Amino acid sequence: MTKLDDLLAYEVVEGLTEGQFTAEEYVISILKRIEEVEPKVHSFITLDTEGALSSAKIIDKKIREKEDIGQLAGVTVGIKDNISTQGIRTTCASKILENYVPTYDATVIRNLKENGAILLGKLNLDEFGMGSTTEYSRYRPTHNPWNLDYVPGGSSGGSGAAVAAGECTVALGSDTGGSIRCPSSFCSVVGLKPTYGRVSRSGLISYANSLEQIGPICRSVKDLVMMLNIISGKDAMDNTSMPSSPITVPNKSNKLNVAVIRELITGSDQEVAKSVFSASEKFQEIGFSCEEVSIKNLHYALPSYYTLASAEASSNLARYDNIRYGFDYPIGEYKWDTYFSNVRENFGEEVKRRILIGSYVLSSGYYGKYYLKARRLRSLLRLELLTLFKKYDLLIGPTMPILPFKFGEKIDDPIKMYLVDVNTVIANLAGIPAISLPIGFSNGLPIGLQIMAAPFEEQKLIDASYELEKVIHIQRRPNSI
Amino acid sequence: MISKEDLEHLALISRINLTENELEKFPKQLDKTIEYIDILEELASDDSINLDLQELRFEELRIDEISLSDDKQLNKNITDDGFLRGPKMK
Repeated sequence: MTKLDDLLAYEVVEGLTEGQFTAEEYVISILKRIEEVEPKVHSFITLDTEGALSSAKIIDKKIREKEDIGQLAGVTVGIKDNISTQGIRTTCASKILENYVPTYDATVIRNLKENGAILLGKLNLDEFGMGSTTEYSRYRPTHNPWNLDYVPGGSSGGSGAAVAAGECTVALGSDTGGSIRCPSSFCSVVGLKPTYGRVSRSGLISYANSLEQIGPICRSVKDLVMMLNIISGKDAMDNTSMPSSPITVPNKSNKLNVAVIRELITGSDQEVAKSVFSASEKFQEIGFSCEEVSIKNLHYALPSYYTLASAEASSNLARYDNIRYGFDYPIGEYKWDTYFSNVRENFGEEVKRRILIGSYVLSSGYYGKYYLKARRLRSLLRLELLTLFKKYDLLIGPTMPILPFKFGEKIDDPIKMYLVDVNTVIANLAGIPAISLPIGFSNGLPIGLQIMAAPFEEQKLIDASYELEKVIHIQRRPNSI
Repeated sequence: MISKEDLEHLALISRINLTENELEKFPKQLDKTIEYIDILEELASDDSINLDLQELRFEELRIDEISLSDDKQLNKNITDDGFLRGPKMK
């Protein structure tokens, strides 16, 4: 029999309902696993052992009393530490919020709890989600479970690594420019950035509101669908959220039209491109059509993304004044403005750089030159993609243009670090859904395929991912740790 | 080019103190970033393009009505005449 801590989410729910094990036994097996691998991987910022055990006992009691236990009963979930959890510290991996304990749950957290999911704790990220490696976390970096000398991707690196290392059944991440898909690709797990508006952002601590979405990271497509259906939906607390139909899996799917984005292939490492080609061959073998397309405005996407994300960040992060929360800092003799400037020195370097760039592109004289042009490009890109989606169901390419890299390789050069996001920002700019699915390894390092679809066409993404997952069996959890 | 003075101005309007080390290395790093986004200049200024990805749906705003919070601790502090009592000033 599979080890308890190795079970997928749907197997946990089945096992519990059939009485094969109790929720408490399952949670203990996961906690043991955390004890074993956490000193090497460092996925968690805060672990809520007591909370997890007491939730498990409640579920076991409900099972004994034959009460409804919910669709995610017993499934242990790790939460990216920028999603508010009532009573559990939520730091955004920043020193500015090191003592912040939210008084309310994010909508997605409420949805999970109502469905019997067990919250394990809060997972590491780059400070406020700004980064692609977790090296910008103000606590410590997370290590890639496939090779501990390598980065796990970011910014939801804690989420990707924890799921791959079996420290939780599933996890939630957030994706502003690739922050779910990058670690999913680097850690060989499945991660989805939903359509903008499918999932409520209420309780997600904002970095760039117009780009970001919360989404699941899992070890199977079926698990991902379970999570997605629970967290999706219109929420009165987020006026950008919208109603959506639930996803089914397996679904009686039609043969889909797939197009490989040429520019994403030419810009990738050879090994990565090879894996994408072999995935597109698999698509053809299962009866999908596969062509190549070009996106005219693609080379403007990354500069536009960094312009918009920094502009929104400079405004969103203006709220951190250390007054109602934050770290201990005596007011002393400082004057009003000086106090704020002094406490805000405590932001990490990358956050400061983005706030400064944001202030720059929003300044008079530069607003039209950068910010407005970036927004214009965003609309053009969306129009171009929507036109392509009239002809093709799905657009594919590598999630990441490169393989996972070693710590410190890019940390001193911001542009080198930004370029890592070149393939993923497209979906955030256009507000479309995108998934990263494991498709292979090179020298023991994972490679992910990115599949994008038209707004609210997640069903097509899932159909294609499910079919591909059936024919290419890619390991989701390393043997080495 | 971002000069040290420009950087100090940006830091002032952003309300952020920079360390000596940051004052030293940021101008070059920010320059590279701005150089990178300069490519946006090539894009035509076309005012006919709608910049909003989502339509603002004012008719769908939630009803503006008073309701109790889920926070039991907070609800305890509501007085009989409907005010919320805050902690005493020390």
